[in-house]
Amino acid sequence: MAENKTPGVDGPLFKRALLGSLSWLSSNHEEVNRLNVFPVPDGDTGTNMLLTLQSAVEDIKESNAAEVSKIAKLASHGSLMGARGNSGVILSQIFRGFARAVEGKSSLTPAELATAFEEAANAAYRAVNKPTEGTILTVAREAGRSASAAASSPDATVPRVIAAAASGARAAVLRTPSQLQILRDAGVVDAGGFGLQIILEGMLKTVEESESSLAALSVSLPVALPASQVAVALPEEGWGYCTEFLIEGTNLDLDRIKHQIESLGNSVLVVGEPELVKVHVHTDDPTRVITLAGGYGKLLKLNVGDMSTQHRRILEGENQASAAPRPNGVGVVAVVAGRGLVDIFRGLGVDAIVEGGQTMNPSTQDMLTAIESVPYDEVILLPNNKNVILAAKQVLGLTKKNVHVIETHSVPQGVAAVVAFRGDRSGADNLAAMKAEAERVQTIEVTHAVRDTRSNGMKVKKGDVIGLINDKLEFAGTDYGEVVNKALSKLGADSYELVTVYRGEDASDDEAEKLESAIRSTHPGLEVEVQQGGQQHYPFILSVE
Amino acid sequence: MKRSFAVVTDSTADLPEAWRERYDIEVVPLKVLFGEETFRDGVDMSNEEFFARLATSTKLPTTSAPSPGEFAELYTRLAQDHDGCISIHIGRQLSATAEAARVGAQSVEGFRVSVVDSETVTMPMAFLCRVAAECATLDEATAAVEKRIPRCRVLALLDTLRYIEMGGRVSRAQAMIGTMLDLKPLLLVVDREIKPVDRVRTRSRAIPRMVEFFVKDMPVEHVGVVHAQAPEEAEVIAADLRRRLPGLEVPVGQIGCVLGTHTGPKALGLVYIKK
Repeated sequence: MAENKTPGVDGPLFKRALLGSLSWLSSNHEEVNRLNVFPVPDGDTGTNMLLTLQSAVEDIKESNAAEVSKIAKLASHGSLMGARGNSGVILSQIFRGFARAVEGKSSLTPAELATAFEEAANAAYRAVNKPTEGTILTVAREAGRSASAAASSPDATVPRVIAAAASGARAAVLRTPSQLQILRDAGVVDAGGFGLQIILEGMLKTVEESESSLAALSVSLPVALPASQVAVALPEEGWGYCTEFLIEGTNLDLDRIKHQIESLGNSVLVVGEPELVKVHVHTDDPTRVITLAGGYGKLLKLNVGDMSTQHRRILEGENQASAAPRPNGVGVVAVVAGRGLVDIFRGLGVDAIVEGGQTMNPSTQDMLTAIESVPYDEVILLPNNKNVILAAKQVLGLTKKNVHVIETHSVPQGVAAVVAFRGDRSGADNLAAMKAEAERVQTIEVTHAVRDTRSNGMKVKKGDVIGLINDKLEFAGTDYGEVVNKALSKLGADSYELVTVYRGEDASDDEAEKLESAIRSTHPGLEVEVQQGGQQHYPFILSVE
Repeated sequence: MKRSFAVVTDSTADLPEAWRERYDIEVVPLKVLFGEETFRDGVDMSNEEFFARLATSTKLPTTSAPSPGEFAELYTRLAQDHDGCISIHIGRQLSATAEAARVGAQSVEGFRVSVVDSETVTMPMAFLCRVAAECATLDEATAAVEKRIPRCRVLALLDTLRYIEMGGRVSRAQAMIGTMLDLKPLLLVVDREIKPVDRVRTRSRAIPRMVEFFVKDMPVEHVGVVHAQAPEEAEVIAADLRRRLPGLEVPVGQIGCVLGTHTGPKALGLVYIKK
């Protein structure tokens, strides 16, 4: 095989190329993480992209497909299911565009490969509401252009086209600071773009290297991050077993399989292509599910887990408020991290919590699983972080349930929205009320700068206390009280009534008390309530209403 | 012309001060107990004294119904110049007062007492008393009052759930507040139940919500505003209602010691009888 100089990209080669990308990104994702654009510690772009790519190749590892189209389709599907964070979602759209471009092809000529790169970038642009230059989008487009230029040369080969894509990406990454003020101020290149560059470089290494060195390259995958914990109300029939597997076959009828499996359990997820179907079901009778599925084809990656123990533990101490069935048939799922905040959301009647937020963006799959687990057909999803919104919206196309995403950017917005939720009001009425309440509340987030930077016209030194109002850095200083009071004055404290302080994991009793009394003495007209939030990285999150 | 029957209620009716004389209504006090000390609601302790003490008391007070003997005493006195009485009381689901009245009445021979379980609390009871007082006979009064019981509503905005929760009348879950957050519950007393209507984070947003709910529940025959140490807000709401409902009196009442033990300070209520 190594000596077989085929000019095209077939299934096995594309599979190897993607595995190469994965191992290269897994050795370098920390570098991507370190490219913090914003002085808040949410440097998880590399991790998000790695987890997305891992999910993209997950199913490919099991596939021996000869056609590039099939591998591309698996990558597209896998990345969509595992997409995390904005960069991850955009990466999944790149795979999707690539898969569309190569549909029906068993092997790609250098020119076709270049076209596919370009189509991949186009698809990503189309997927984003307001495309911003100087990001992964720009890098994808420049990689495609550069690949096309190389492909038009008479001596074009696949390695040369990929090399051109990688170098086009590298050049584009280096230019990102000239396109985005925020990067220029921070003195970094765009993290997502850099991640894409690494992926292309990984492909290049693979196609250039011999089979023997490839073996050495397939290094260990990073340890999986803890799976999101999803707590949901116990359905009457119990949980039974979480049963998951892939069916490999031909002309598999997804609808039919889904229909049959739905009769055997709940939280049924049947996704994939006619050649490979992923099945997920909570059932009391896994044997029957497996027997049924076995009739369709070969079962792979079979995994049966007893969920009752796990869920009993999660349900313990859960408030009764969320247990009774709701007259309007509408469920609520929220993305939250931090023990105190999880308790608060659950106490307000949220049906399922997807753990995640600023530093651990949950995947589309995590949110989908939570939504499927809720015993209602209409579900309101609260992302509660601006970096989760895009992944949350991807859920809409993946479930038969009627899902609404309320674009809550912060924990205070999420709390305001869920307080307005009423079990006896229709989904539409709830949506309107929840949106209005979320928009009414102001958010102040307090953290420390992770590096020297300049943002919003301010010089910030590493370790400084910084205050963000509604996601925007507004104040820096050395003291929590000082920064918070400035932020409150900027908002116009007189027109508000209540400040709720969600205390983070890192804030001490002393710091919390000092902050509370600082607010009270400077703004005596405000009511101040301190709650245990338990969130990471933000010593304090404040809700002003 | 003086009517032949008496009208009795208890202190949880939060009767507007002027009505006692205007409609000639007898009020039997319930009791508030701070530890060993017992106070008769509105007799031994004023509302102001009560809420001042509530604010500083480490342990919440408890409440108790009047005894059957106290009712018997009153009925015996009333029997001297009336041929019967209607005795309208706080709902049985909330207090043993109506039961005490029934037992008390049995011990007074030859005096007809029509004990009415109002199924509600606070000023709807005052409205029922007024309806009764304006009737010519006891039978008429009893029929007129009983007809209106299912149409009585109390829409209560509590400043905190703490007191009602400690008193065991409503759990956080029942009030849709299963959380640490200090939410303002809006509750509706109807059909012998306390139902959550809404939950709001701030008072200034909660008051318009309460009025909104009420407006959707119109038309009404009687409406009033009650408050626990929040007279200014109560007057603002009442003025708003008078503008909306010209021709209705819209009295303002004070939540007394017994009910105040369960609502806590700064509670506001819209009380009404639907048409």
